[in-house]
Amino acid sequence: MSALRLISNRTSQQASSNSDYTWDYEYYEYGPVSFEGLKAHKYSIVIGFWVGLAVFVIFMFFVLTLLTKTGAPHQDNADPSEKRFRMNSFVADFGRSLESERVISRQMAEESQSLFHFCINEVENMNKAKKSQKGPGLERNIHFQEVPRSSGMFEEDLHSLTKFNIPNFVNTEHNSSLGEDDLISEPPIILESKLVMQSSHRILD
Amino acid sequence: KNMSDLSLNITDCIQVVVPEEVFFTVAAAGILENLLILIAVVRNKNFHSPMYFFICSLAISDMLGSLYKTLENIFIILCKLGYLTRHGDFEKKLDDAMDSMFILSLLGSIFSLLAIAADRYITIFYALRYHNIMTLRRALIILAIIWTFCAGSSIAIALFSYEAATVIPFTILFPLMMFFILCLYVHMFLLARSHAKKIASLPTSTVHQRTNMKGAITLTIFLGVFLCCWAPFVLHILLARFCPHNPYCACYMSIFHVNGTLIMCNSIIDPMIFAFRSPELRSTFKKMFYCSR
Repeated sequence: MSALRLISNRTSQQASSNSDYTWDYEYYEYGPVSFEGLKAHKYSIVIGFWVGLAVFVIFMFFVLTLLTKTGAPHQDNADPSEKRFRMNSFVADFGRSLESERVISRQMAEESQSLFHFCINEVENMNKAKKSQKGPGLERNIHFQEVPRSSGMFEEDLHSLTKFNIPNFVNTEHNSSLGEDDLISEPPIILESKLVMQSSHRILD
Repeated sequence: KNMSDLSLNITDCIQVVVPEEVFFTVAAAGILENLLILIAVVRNKNFHSPMYFFICSLAISDMLGSLYKTLENIFIILCKLGYLTRHGDFEKKLDDAMDSMFILSLLGSIFSLLAIAADRYITIFYALRYHNIMTLRRALIILAIIWTFCAGSSIAIALFSYEAATVIPFTILFPLMMFFILCLYVHMFLLARSHAKKIASLPTSTVHQRTNMKGAITLTIFLGVFLCCWAPFVLHILLARFCPHNPYCACYMSIFHVNGTLIMCNSIIDPMIFAFRSPELRSTFKKMFYCSR
């Protein structure tokens, strides 16, 4: 690259001022640069560039902070029936607001039918594919943990999504009184909080 | 007035020199760190997943960047000591190869970051179908395509670097990719925000305002580090192509070594913000070090 070779030329001149180190590109004849009559400071591009970069990064940080700001947590003391009603309603709200309705209904149709099949097929495929390597038990564990791990690592950073545990998910199928559609369309974190809610209900009742 | 060398008056911008020890230390640290990550991912079967493969790809491109700088410095030292001829054909070819390695490293970094962002995006928005969408085979195919494209364009850019037509697309690609990655992450953030709002309205939740800052800080660090480390060099290329005789541009170009050291610092910082965030990888490193003792 022209810049790099140019720089190699200069580097060598700096490093060994008395040796005759030149690349053989005559193209590089680079006349003297006169520094007279400069209106602004000679390092103005350097300073301007770094200041601009710093301003941009800080601006980006503020924009991201504003994006992640939530309102103050809203603590109510309602009774259990109201809580359940509110949960149902905001699950429905969330389902609408997450994506367009068409996409959601398509996802729900696909996934509500195939959720168990998906899990079962994955395990079967995995067992077939990796039969020669390890025991299937270990693989199943690793496989089930793959999604939570990959999402878990980033969620640590985001601090807003908890781990997506398929075993938990499967358990809620049996225990929950909410519809299957709700469980599939809503995000994992709502599930976890619902588990908390339901277990607390069971303790209270 | 007819000088063959560059004038080095006191009023001129003197080339800022980074001591060679600093250069080599930074380069060696970068290479070692990324090599450790590669070894850890290859050895541990748990890490044979698309996410870790993309992190490996980033580690490889960082390693190439540091390697390039190290080789260039060694090359210059050898020339200084007289072991290599200065006008030879072999040296020219070697220089070409090294330049293309460097561009390969830059392009590889950009595309690896893009792949990591896309992978996280799919993890969050298509969580249930993630395993069907991002299978291991597809991830390897994507990586093969990315690296083939990067290798091809780096060779093309190194050979045809004299044309403005190669410099301009190269410098446009850089902010374009950054913007796209930023959009992906912002969309993920918006989802996280709506989640957090819903959770905050639950009666049994306790949401701390402070924890929401961590996401913004993390993302700013990701993109800020990449920008601060690579943008100075990209600007250098632009200025060298379009205004080499302008005194302001020449002053900017005099800090080239600092820019090069920044690129190597990027190789050191990237593993810390991508790979070492994973607790499994950290525990694998601990096992590796304790077992080797």
